[in-house]
Amino acid sequence: MNDGSTQPLLTVENVSKSFGGVQALRDGSFDLKRGEVLAIVGGNGAGKSTLIKVVAGAHVPDGGRIVIKGKEVPRSEHSVSHMQDCGIEVVYQDLALVPNMSAPYNLYLGRIPRKWGIFVDERKMREKTREVLKQLNVTTVQDLSQPISSMSGGQQQSIAIGRAIAWGSDIVILDEPTAALGPNETAEVERLVEDVRDRHGTSFILISHNLDQVRRLADRILVTHHGVTSREFKRDEITSDRLVKAITLGE
Amino acid sequence: MSDVTLQQSFLTPKRVEVLRDYVPFIAIALVILLFWALSGDRFMSMRNWTFIAQQTPVLMLLAFAQLMIVTTGSIDISIGSSLAFSAFLGALGMLWLGDGGLVLGIFAGGLIGMINGTIISLLKIPSFVTTLAMLIIVRAAVIIMSDGTAIYITDSSVSGGTNISSVSAPWLLSMGKFPAIFIVAAIVAVAMWVFYEKTAFGQQLRAVGGNEKVLRLVGINVTAFKIKVFAAAGLMVGLAACVNLARAGAATPQAGLMIELDAIAAVALGGTPLTGGYGSVVKTIIGALTLTIVRNGLTIAGVPPSWSQVALGVLLIAAIAISLNRSRIDVVK
Repeated sequence: MNDGSTQPLLTVENVSKSFGGVQALRDGSFDLKRGEVLAIVGGNGAGKSTLIKVVAGAHVPDGGRIVIKGKEVPRSEHSVSHMQDCGIEVVYQDLALVPNMSAPYNLYLGRIPRKWGIFVDERKMREKTREVLKQLNVTTVQDLSQPISSMSGGQQQSIAIGRAIAWGSDIVILDEPTAALGPNETAEVERLVEDVRDRHGTSFILISHNLDQVRRLADRILVTHHGVTSREFKRDEITSDRLVKAITLGE
Repeated sequence: MSDVTLQQSFLTPKRVEVLRDYVPFIAIALVILLFWALSGDRFMSMRNWTFIAQQTPVLMLLAFAQLMIVTTGSIDISIGSSLAFSAFLGALGMLWLGDGGLVLGIFAGGLIGMINGTIISLLKIPSFVTTLAMLIIVRAAVIIMSDGTAIYITDSSVSGGTNISSVSAPWLLSMGKFPAIFIVAAIVAVAMWVFYEKTAFGQQLRAVGGNEKVLRLVGINVTAFKIKVFAAAGLMVGLAACVNLARAGAATPQAGLMIELDAIAAVALGGTPLTGGYGSVVKTIIGALTLTIVRNGLTIAGVPPSWSQVALGVLLIAAIAISLNRSRIDVVK
């Protein structure tokens, strides 16, 4: 992808985090370039979910540095809303959408446009939703007034990813984006990620247990083991065998 | 698609789904037809329908308050006590400050709602428990405040040194009669519809009922929002208290006893799931009206009051049993 001469979009250095007496993350370090898909893999309790929650702003790290577009994030300002302002959005596994609300509402979640201060500007929401769905090449969503729970899993995930990119984020963190989906819908979401990356230059951090998917999508693969980001592989240099060994044994 | 459905039986899953949507309307139509058949003109008279139009508004406003709260997935069982407290404060306000003092009643309801909301969202005590405690406390407060006596609203000032508290407010008494009470109710109903369906606040009620955690993750202050919801519902209870004061002509410590259950029943009859996330103002109106009509119709048909309560309970279970889509429910608590 990039030749390394350009500065990374995001740099994470020696980040650590403990909860009570348990050190969930001892040393998390990686960087992310523009338009790159970085996968983070690791067994349960290896620290990957703590690492992304720190990057998303949900956890304040105990130590280490996070630099976004050349600017270090001060510990005192480390929060979800600050990270959103810096262009980082997360699509959480089961906490991305409000199931009983429509697609436009979910796309505008937390940013509902208003008329005269109190009324919902429904037309504006519908128009923008159509526009975003078109940008994403999602043509299967017809009725925008339906609750999102009546849509397929793939369509729902498209709306969730759509929300992450609709507001101009540069970095989207996908937490197990296809864990609950069937094969066709998984393919649909993977195609969407590649398409968004190619057309908008968005960078993705992908958390996934599906090693085939990781090898299909990721430019680089970061392995976490016992709270340390222990190994990093390029897509071309990795075999399933080596990946599994790195995850289970940290080799 | 139409070819396929035409070949199948009349009750396709899609049609059942649509039919479920109309259960409140079908229920009210059946109830009216039933009592018409049972009692004839005694039920279907102008005089009786005027009576129903006077009876429904207080319950309807209380059901609106309950609808706001139930849509978020909480419940408020303190509204009966709150009604008595608010009506009493409204009457006191009129004693102290003149006619305008009635607004004290509305604010009293809002205040109780705000206290409920604050306890629920800051102390994280479930709404059922919080409002159960408030039901007891607020009712006791009214009895202490009133010393067990009522404040009467009269047509003309009561002369002489009686120890009966009364306020002369013929305008308020006429507000409690048809058509004024009906017009007030209709205006509030339209305002409620706009508020619930068209405002950002109304949409957020449903979103909180759908998945509160997601809203928190996108940075919405759900705690503050819930306090506002209970306060808004409380203002509606305060308004209902003023209408009840006009209708009953007195603020008594026993006002609104058990009426919270009627309000919840009206919301449920209106097809609103008590688990939150969905709701309809129009169907809640139908629910309140159905409840009033059944009570009225059973009285006219000569059914003893205790047996009408039994009939109301059965109706509630039947209506909800029909309108629930059981195939979508995994867990019942």
